[in-house]
Amino acid sequence: MTIMGERKKSLRGRMILSFLLIVVIAVVSFMIISINRSSSTIKETSVDYTLQLIELMNENIDFYIENMENISQIVIYNSDVRKYLTADSDADVDEYLSKVEEQFEILKDTRKDIYNIGVLGMNGRYLINDRSVEMNAYVKWDTLEWYSKAIKDRETVYSSHVQNIVYKEYPWVVTLSKVIKDPFSDEIIGVFFVDLNYRAISDLAEEINLGQKGYVYIVNDAGEIVYHPKQQLIYSGLWEEELMPDEQKEADISSWESDTKLYTASKSEMTGWTVVGVTDLDEMLSSTDDIISMYYLLAVILIGAAMLLSVLLTDKITLPLRRLQKSMQEVETGNFAVDLSGAESKDEIGDLIRSFQIMIQEIENLIERNNIEQEEKRKSELNALQAQINPHFLYNTLDSIIWMAEDGNTKDVVLMTSALAKLLRKSISNQNELVTVTEELEYTRSYLTIQKMRYKGKLKYSIDVEPVIADMEIIKLIVQPLVENAIYHGIKYKDGIGTIIIEAVYREKEIVIKVIDDGYGMSEEQLAHIFDKHEINGRKYGVGIHNVHKRIQLYYGEEYGLSFISKIGQGTIASIHLPVRTGGQDET
Amino acid sequence: MKRKKDSSQTLILAIIIITALVAAIPYAFLRNYRNEQSEKKVSIIFISKRLDAENDFWSAMVEGINMAASEYDIDVLLMGPESESEHELQNQMIEKAIAMKPDAIALVPSDYSVTVPYAKKIEAAGIKLILMDSVMEEDLGLCVVATDNFEGGRKMGEYLKKYAEENSAIGIVAQSPSSSTAIDRESGVRSGLDEYEDHIKEVVYCYSESDKAYEVTLEMLERTPEINMIVGLNEDSAVGAARAIKDAGLPQKIRLIGFDSSMEQVQLLEEGVFDAIVVQRPLNMGYLGIKAAYQTVMNETVEAKIDSGSELITKDTIYTKENEKLLFPFNQ
Repeated sequence: MTIMGERKKSLRGRMILSFLLIVVIAVVSFMIISINRSSSTIKETSVDYTLQLIELMNENIDFYIENMENISQIVIYNSDVRKYLTADSDADVDEYLSKVEEQFEILKDTRKDIYNIGVLGMNGRYLINDRSVEMNAYVKWDTLEWYSKAIKDRETVYSSHVQNIVYKEYPWVVTLSKVIKDPFSDEIIGVFFVDLNYRAISDLAEEINLGQKGYVYIVNDAGEIVYHPKQQLIYSGLWEEELMPDEQKEADISSWESDTKLYTASKSEMTGWTVVGVTDLDEMLSSTDDIISMYYLLAVILIGAAMLLSVLLTDKITLPLRRLQKSMQEVETGNFAVDLSGAESKDEIGDLIRSFQIMIQEIENLIERNNIEQEEKRKSELNALQAQINPHFLYNTLDSIIWMAEDGNTKDVVLMTSALAKLLRKSISNQNELVTVTEELEYTRSYLTIQKMRYKGKLKYSIDVEPVIADMEIIKLIVQPLVENAIYHGIKYKDGIGTIIIEAVYREKEIVIKVIDDGYGMSEEQLAHIFDKHEINGRKYGVGIHNVHKRIQLYYGEEYGLSFISKIGQGTIASIHLPVRTGGQDET
Repeated sequence: MKRKKDSSQTLILAIIIITALVAAIPYAFLRNYRNEQSEKKVSIIFISKRLDAENDFWSAMVEGINMAASEYDIDVLLMGPESESEHELQNQMIEKAIAMKPDAIALVPSDYSVTVPYAKKIEAAGIKLILMDSVMEEDLGLCVVATDNFEGGRKMGEYLKKYAEENSAIGIVAQSPSSSTAIDRESGVRSGLDEYEDHIKEVVYCYSESDKAYEVTLEMLERTPEINMIVGLNEDSAVGAARAIKDAGLPQKIRLIGFDSSMEQVQLLEEGVFDAIVVQRPLNMGYLGIKAAYQTVMNETVEAKIDSGSELITKDTIYTKENEKLLFPFNQ
């Protein structure tokens, strides 16, 4: 299917090209818009999804912290705790210690993720979980940040750290600490703390699935890392984290982007912690790769279909046009037998083809009518030409018959009259244009018979026919005018006996009939004007020759006709050249 | 006329459907191809000298390995005997790993010389070899990711130099006279001490046994009682020396600095027996080792020696944000 095959700019090629151009532009712009849309949609969806996850995570963290808050409320307003911290006698201390211990046990049982519950009195009394727990002797309380901060700020949520207050134990925890006050003097009598197992929070973060490369990290108010899966790498400078841009810090919900990552953050008012969900852009957009490749495929299919459609559609338009064009070329060369059936459609091109067909029909009719007219014209011309029997000859013959009758030469009168009758019948009554060579020569013989009698011994003749051509058909009345010519222009002026020899022979697919006389002959000038009409002293001597030649050419074509050889004082040879026509090949 | 139109329309429809189907076939293949492609990740086998989840050092290293694996989207297979002394078992594992035809093998050689021919087999098989933590007697592998022991030693030396005086006498407890790590760390200590280098009075060896270290430390203190600074060049040496000093009641008199960070060492640091410890960064070592292995597979240039780093920690800096994670990897 060559679209651009033709060298000249074909209508078909241009139509296909413009179709394609339109489709390609449409498809490509559609694709670009769709791909852009889909990748931004994916980002939006990802932010939404991540936000849902991290908000849920924040809620969970808040829940933990709230739980710790509740525990702390129970403990710091508990009179047993205060009494334990402020009791004076050892017995009282011991009594309240047991009560607090009991309480701690209940509280610890409610939540598995509580690591330590403890009170540290300003007077040095303390209880962590139960009295069997040994305090780390190498730790001074006021070096503990959660302890000193609580005293300073009354309460604090201390972000992830290693709790080292218990001997030989170094758990990762999140500590909530609060001061315990004497309700009467409003004096700080101790610090309460509860440690939440850091696992509870890191597990929450690890559970969140943000893809193979996605993760969650948490920073506190101060911007310190509470949880980050690559915390160590960050501290040793092997990993860098894009932190929240300043302008986003005020917003509750925020999202920002680095070269490779999409960050979504949510801040909890209760803890002051910001949970940040990190999604790998490449990974996230790898699903767009699928979409993009689908779009590409769709585009290829669309363009392919458009290509096919445009070829088919264009063909539907241009194919009839091309057929029309071909037909027109055929008509140009003269062939009207063009077939355009099936090419018509009910559109403008169909109309065009129908008009063309009508036009061809019209031209064909015209040509046919013209042919008929021409034929008729030729026929009437032929008739006009052949009908002419010299009236002088008729007159002279009849005159001769009268003379013979007066002489009483009845035998000759009969002979001549019958010859004349034959002659007349043949020339007038026979409507058939064609006769056999024999018939034609018989006619000539009748003529010669009359002339021989008229010229009494001055004329001798012989007729010779090759048997091959005897039955071949020729147009009639072509030999007699030549004989007439030979007598009037040759023999008549000769002294003594004149001889006319008629030969009909077959030569190279032609019938050649020669009329040879040994009469006066013709000059070169006479020969040159032999075919001209109206000549010599107002007498129509040339009429016969001219007519015969014209008729032969009209009937058989230009290449046939008469030829003459003549020499003054020696005689003339007139030859008739005719084609061999086997029966039934007549034009008319 | 009408019929002809219909048939050409069905022809067009048929061509479109065929085009769609034909186009869908390579797409299906394409998807498969893509899946195969994404499945064909870089594969690296990590062969440790010790694969022990209970051990902080080795589990931190595995944690680092996993971080790199997820970051670079690598398939990492972990292998290794449970104990450091099983050289033969590790060699068998190396052969098994070679048969699996990974893109690279990250090896922690179990032995300085026994492992050599097996490491050579890895290279002969056309697998990229990266050494981690330790080296061997022959220079093998495209890259060594390890703690720069000289640098670690120098940190200890520099720390002691700050407190060194004219009457300072220094004793060194080392794991072995032939251990490359011991030699590097000792020369690091000497370099860090600078002009106080000649204050080093004695170097004793414990052959990687803390009990032996305990003994040789006590013996050394008996022989040379003026010693007031002791350096323990590995965990066993340091812990043994610390116990000896604690038991002898000399923590106040002797400034002790040790290498590595077992929980016992951290407690002893908190107690004040150790004045400082230099800790390695096994997580970084694992991370950087797998990263380097990945880079060699990707035909990127990698430095022949990569220092995974070390950190000097005193009692005051145990609970800083940066050091907490290093000293207390939470894997409980």
